[in-house]
Amino acid sequence: MSKYIFSIVLLCSVFWIQAQEIQTDTVTKKMSSEKLKVTSEKTVLATTTDSIPVKTDRYGLRVGVDLYKLTRGFYDKGYKGVEFIGDFRLTKKYYLAAELGIEDKTTDDDRLNSTATGTYVKGGFDYNTYENWLDMENLITVGLRGGLSTFSQELNSYKIYNSTPYWGDNPTVTGGEKYTGLTAAWAEVALGLKAQVFNNVFVGFGFQLKLLIANKKPDGFDNLYIPGFNRTYNGSFGVGFNYTVSYFIPIYKKKVLPEIIETPKK
Amino acid sequence: MKKILYFLLLFAFGLSSCEKDDICDGNTPTTPRLIITFYDITNPSIRKSVTRLKVIGEGQPEGVVFNKNSIDETRYLTSSDSIAIPLKTDADTATFEFILNSGSANATLTNTDKIKLNYTRQDAYVSRACGFKTIYRLDTQTPFEKTDSGNDGIWLQQIQVQNPNIEFENETHVKIYF
Repeated sequence: MSKYIFSIVLLCSVFWIQAQEIQTDTVTKKMSSEKLKVTSEKTVLATTTDSIPVKTDRYGLRVGVDLYKLTRGFYDKGYKGVEFIGDFRLTKKYYLAAELGIEDKTTDDDRLNSTATGTYVKGGFDYNTYENWLDMENLITVGLRGGLSTFSQELNSYKIYNSTPYWGDNPTVTGGEKYTGLTAAWAEVALGLKAQVFNNVFVGFGFQLKLLIANKKPDGFDNLYIPGFNRTYNGSFGVGFNYTVSYFIPIYKKKVLPEIIETPKK
Repeated sequence: MKKILYFLLLFAFGLSSCEKDDICDGNTPTTPRLIITFYDITNPSIRKSVTRLKVIGEGQPEGVVFNKNSIDETRYLTSSDSIAIPLKTDADTATFEFILNSGSANATLTNTDKIKLNYTRQDAYVSRACGFKTIYRLDTQTPFEKTDSGNDGIWLQQIQVQNPNIEFENETHVKIYF
């Protein structure tokens, strides 16, 4: 059980760092909490060194869902979407990772209102940079993905920009044009954190920095939102965020080599 | 942990550099105005300046603004050799009164003519911040109809369409000889 407590501490520690960015007078508070953390780790060590455990790494498939997208529909009327995530552990550090999603997003800008609907798939790998204690299986990952989206866009309404509104204000024009068969491809750097909070249940979140590679724009309009890529900017840059809950399905185990061999490598 | 911090910083920088597309840049070509250039009827290759010209759209209380910085009547007057007037974005015709020597002390100099412009419209996408613009094309059959308003003779002696496609403001669309 104590290892899950540690996982939760790990999850929270990221928030502590964020809090520290804003408030500088909490340094002492953070120091004391870190000390606490270290002592708790030591006690874990002490209790388990009685019998030298054979460390094994579990390999398998992790599947989950993005709660951020799933719950956004409750408070954002213009949004419906779901993203399923999955990864498969290839080696000690590398994971094959993929995301599959569907989104329906209405973007309401000052002068434009449009709806993008479509599906997307992202595939790539994650590299776990986190050194786990004992048999813990937390992840702090850096990964790369390639993304592909097929979608349609509907122009709901628009305003005409007129720098000399001599004849009065321009009314909002109801559009209704639908542009189908649109595609976009992008690459992204994905940063993620996943902590095991219960048996095989992981909670995590991630940031993605995206770079648009191909973007099939409709004639006479632009792709203002691409499912999976999110909002587009003037350039080819994009960002993403997810908050995931996932379940790990163990498939096989691998014994970890004794640490005596590992240390000279460092 | 440090790595994540670095990436968060990068993320923040990325966002800040991208937010500027929310404001429509004034230099972006949006809905164009009709550019009219005045020429001398006796010497058609020479540009001629008008005197105290006021242009009022039909049904409008005020004239088209030519001097943004003035506050009195001169705001609506021009004495240059070219003007820019806005067309309607929601109708296919726009009628203007062209008043030469407007407000002149010598009332006999004042001459009012009416021009009705016929055109087709098309809405074109500009950007997320600017939305759409309207571009115009002057009717090929009857691009304009001029009538004398006020029985003082027609001072707009000849009107010639130079470029029926009104898309940008850096070219003359209509030439007027007087």
